[in-house]
Amino acid sequence: MDELLQHIVNAVMLGATYALLGIGLTLIFGIMRVVNFTHGELYAFGGYMIFMLTAMLGVNFYLALLGALVLGIVLGAVIELVLLRPMRGADIDTTMLIMIGCWIVLQNTEQMIWGGVAKSIVSPLPGEPLVFGPISVAWLRVFVFVAAALLIAGTYALIHRTKLGKAMRATFQDRDTAALMGVNVSAINTATFALGSGLAAAAGALLGAVFVITPTMGDLAALKAFAIVILGGLGSITGATIGGFILAFAEEMGAGYVSSGYRDAMGFLLIIVVLLFKPTGLFARAERIG
Amino acid sequence: MKRAVPLFWLALLASVPLWLGDAYFLHVLITTGIFTIAAMSLNLLLGYTGQLSLGHVAFFGIGAYASALTSLGFDAHFFGIRVVHEPWPAVVGLAVGIVIAGLCGYAIGKLSFKVRGAYFVIVTISFAEVTRLVALNWVELTQGPLALNNIPPFTLAFPGLGEYTLWGKVPNYYVVLSVGALAYLVIRRLVLSRIGRAMIALRENEPLATSLGIDVTRFLVLAAVISAGIAGAAGALYAHFVRIIDPDIFLFIYTVTMVIMVITGGKGTLAGPLVGGLIFGMLPVVLRAYTSPVAQWIIYGVLMILVVFFLPRGIVPAVRERWAKR
Amino acid sequence: MKATFRAGLIAVGVATAFAATGAFAQIKIGVNQPLTGPVAASGNFVTNGAKIAADEINAKGGVLKQKIELVIEDNKSNPTEAVAVAEKLIVRDKVPVMMGAWSSTYTLAVMPKLMEYKVPMVVETSSSDKITVSGNPYIFRISPTSGMEATAFADRVGALKIRKADFLVVNNDWGKGAADVFSKMLKDKGVAVGAVETMDAAAQDLNAQLSKIKSSDADTLFITTAVEQLTLILKQAHALGLKRQIITTGGSQSPDQLIEQAGPAANGSYHLLFFPPWVPEATPNPAAARAFVAEWRKRGYPFAGLTEGFRGYDGIQTIAAAITKAGKADPEAIRAALWNTELTGLNGRIAFTKAGPAGKESGQSIPAVYVVKIDNGKVTLAR
Repeated sequence: MDELLQHIVNAVMLGATYALLGIGLTLIFGIMRVVNFTHGELYAFGGYMIFMLTAMLGVNFYLALLGALVLGIVLGAVIELVLLRPMRGADIDTTMLIMIGCWIVLQNTEQMIWGGVAKSIVSPLPGEPLVFGPISVAWLRVFVFVAAALLIAGTYALIHRTKLGKAMRATFQDRDTAALMGVNVSAINTATFALGSGLAAAAGALLGAVFVITPTMGDLAALKAFAIVILGGLGSITGATIGGFILAFAEEMGAGYVSSGYRDAMGFLLIIVVLLFKPTGLFARAERIG
Repeated sequence: MKRAVPLFWLALLASVPLWLGDAYFLHVLITTGIFTIAAMSLNLLLGYTGQLSLGHVAFFGIGAYASALTSLGFDAHFFGIRVVHEPWPAVVGLAVGIVIAGLCGYAIGKLSFKVRGAYFVIVTISFAEVTRLVALNWVELTQGPLALNNIPPFTLAFPGLGEYTLWGKVPNYYVVLSVGALAYLVIRRLVLSRIGRAMIALRENEPLATSLGIDVTRFLVLAAVISAGIAGAAGALYAHFVRIIDPDIFLFIYTVTMVIMVITGGKGTLAGPLVGGLIFGMLPVVLRAYTSPVAQWIIYGVLMILVVFFLPRGIVPAVRERWAKR
Repeated sequence: MKATFRAGLIAVGVATAFAATGAFAQIKIGVNQPLTGPVAASGNFVTNGAKIAADEINAKGGVLKQKIELVIEDNKSNPTEAVAVAEKLIVRDKVPVMMGAWSSTYTLAVMPKLMEYKVPMVVETSSSDKITVSGNPYIFRISPTSGMEATAFADRVGALKIRKADFLVVNNDWGKGAADVFSKMLKDKGVAVGAVETMDAAAQDLNAQLSKIKSSDADTLFITTAVEQLTLILKQAHALGLKRQIITTGGSQSPDQLIEQAGPAANGSYHLLFFPPWVPEATPNPAAARAFVAEWRKRGYPFAGLTEGFRGYDGIQTIAAAITKAGKADPEAIRAALWNTELTGLNGRIAFTKAGPAGKESGQSIPAVYVVKIDNGKVTLAR
């Protein structure tokens, strides 16, 4: 029983960061119809930014987190403006290939700058864990959970409470009509890609502090983000949030009670099962082919 | 004339070991050949049916593991039943690799062609990742991260003359060249047949093709089976040439390498993957003197973006157009 | 078509030109190490140590009046890449001897290539017992086997009051081999062995394994993995409130890095190591140890890497001594000379005894094993 409770706590802590990762990807897909292969690299970029800011420039940990988020937004905007804007109207496969090219460039640039050796970050949070009876959790994990939850809530508020969010939702529902109604679709695209990238960078910075930072950390993160988004349905923010927690639970329980080696396989097995029975994901709105 | 060009290239490639003295360069040519065969098989899906399958390395890896295990033997449990297999010759392994990869192509085709576009891409990637994790964790069968070591090389048996084991690079070069030529012929026949025309019709306009009575899923699955089988053959060649395989053979980056070869060469053309394969197989050798492997990958990535931007149909169609204009 | 053909010819020409430029009057030594990937930190430290040894040898006039040149290649923490690296080093760079390949799995993968091309390799880190018993006469190992570590540790079991032990090991030849021989040793001593949990070398979230271990009634946890993963395990175990006596094996743990990055989580843990840089006077060759530590610091390498870096130093020193003894940089001559090579490295006396099937024995040196403890952020030698 104690072990089960511990597994549940672990899964909840992990789920929030997974949800953060998934929301960024699903936003970009929903609004821009782009399968973003650079998502994992923005995640890694966030990790390297917090490392660079704290360990190399001596910036305060919390400020560095904010810095990673902002730099992620900037990098996302640059990628959109340089690589995606000229390709507007191209089919989904073409933009996907460009994103794969960009992924390769980003990952290897990271490796060139910071080398292949893992980097780690020393957080200012107390090293002693928080203990409730048989359950124990590190303060850093609690902080990461709260920060991720706040970012998710902030994204929800942005989408549902602001004018920008309204324009984004309009573009999501019908790009052409939105353009006719005076929505600047190009600007919405840039804003969406920048926001999604910022969320990925924030997730990378948060988990980079928990784990270690390596040039290839983004690969598995990207695959997991894909799994989360498929589970929830491409383009659904609520779906991605729930998908993040489902994946975290599947992984933690799978590793705890089935086999720790198949931890990372759980997400992909879930995808295959979901697609067998409900090909558009659990929470998707009607999906067009293509 | 149409036939003479491929035959000229084949003769040129066949003569390489006769005048090339450098063993390392021959080694690079062999691995290039293997990846070019894999790229040819990917082209069948990517170029002719228009399906961006990004899990292609799964078939390559499955072929490699199936062939290696057939020729090494194993003692493992399948769903609780113990199966002991005595080693068979490597050539049989090649056949088993092709068949098993083809069967997986069938299963995945049936499953993933239910969806299109982004979903299809992600399902195929997930499939490759699951196969990697199975290879990593089914230690009893695959040795997991310990890698399958000492995979036997191919042997040729001549009646009355005894057996000849292909240890060296030159015989392996000819094996790869023969399989490559055979794969080229199979793909050529297929795309020039009625089936091939149906596939292209699907790529160009799926709803129209469907309305004309083309059974979409049947043709796609057929393409997936043949494509997977050829990729499996390439994987088997790889296993018996480098003689060690580990779960990293399933990494996404290898699929990306194949995709880059097909896209730069020219998807949907017979010569495209050959040109792309040669360029990206040889480029590391040329670039090595000037840059680190990391910088090489950056160059690949930039090249890929540039090709999609400026030569969206690839090198071969672009060269052909130039030729035609003269 | 014509253009591609010409480009192909140029590529061929360029490649052959490079292949021909290999003939400097230098003796090449191949170094096959993981410089990127999950165990990259260790591989880089070993390589740094090797560079220090090479520079020191060259400063003293080299070997056989020629400079030695290290040809360093990255095996990307992957066995297949390790084989590709060996192939490159032997076929393209024509090295007469190599050092490598850090992990037991990479070394085992490379071994058939040594037989194929008849080139000897000095093994500096790998500890799987399998390496020296498979009948490969080109293997000369200066690192201890897991079995030797277990034997050296046996007389500490009583003092550490171990009653029941769990294992958390990396799922490769190194981790599993260590779990096997340590379990056997503990059982012989009357200690119960509980769970043996494994993990992938690249895994970062070990909470599931640790939660499982937390529910067992053992008092001691043996861990075998590289330093990056070990840091994560200590942090996560601490966060889970796992109160165990932790003992790590394999010599790739860099206690200073654990103190720096895991902080209080590293307190009270024991580590089996093969070089104690904190107390150079406790090693068999204090002068060399001090000089090595000083040079390491001078180059700005992290102090934490010394426990791993010494391996590269000892490996290159061994190879240089063998080449001197052989009188020429020829693979077969070096192989023969390694059997008669004897020197005092940073770890201690290096000399090869025969191991494995008769007629095709591998060389195995018998190194010293140290046990250190982390106490309040300080490393002490447990005697």
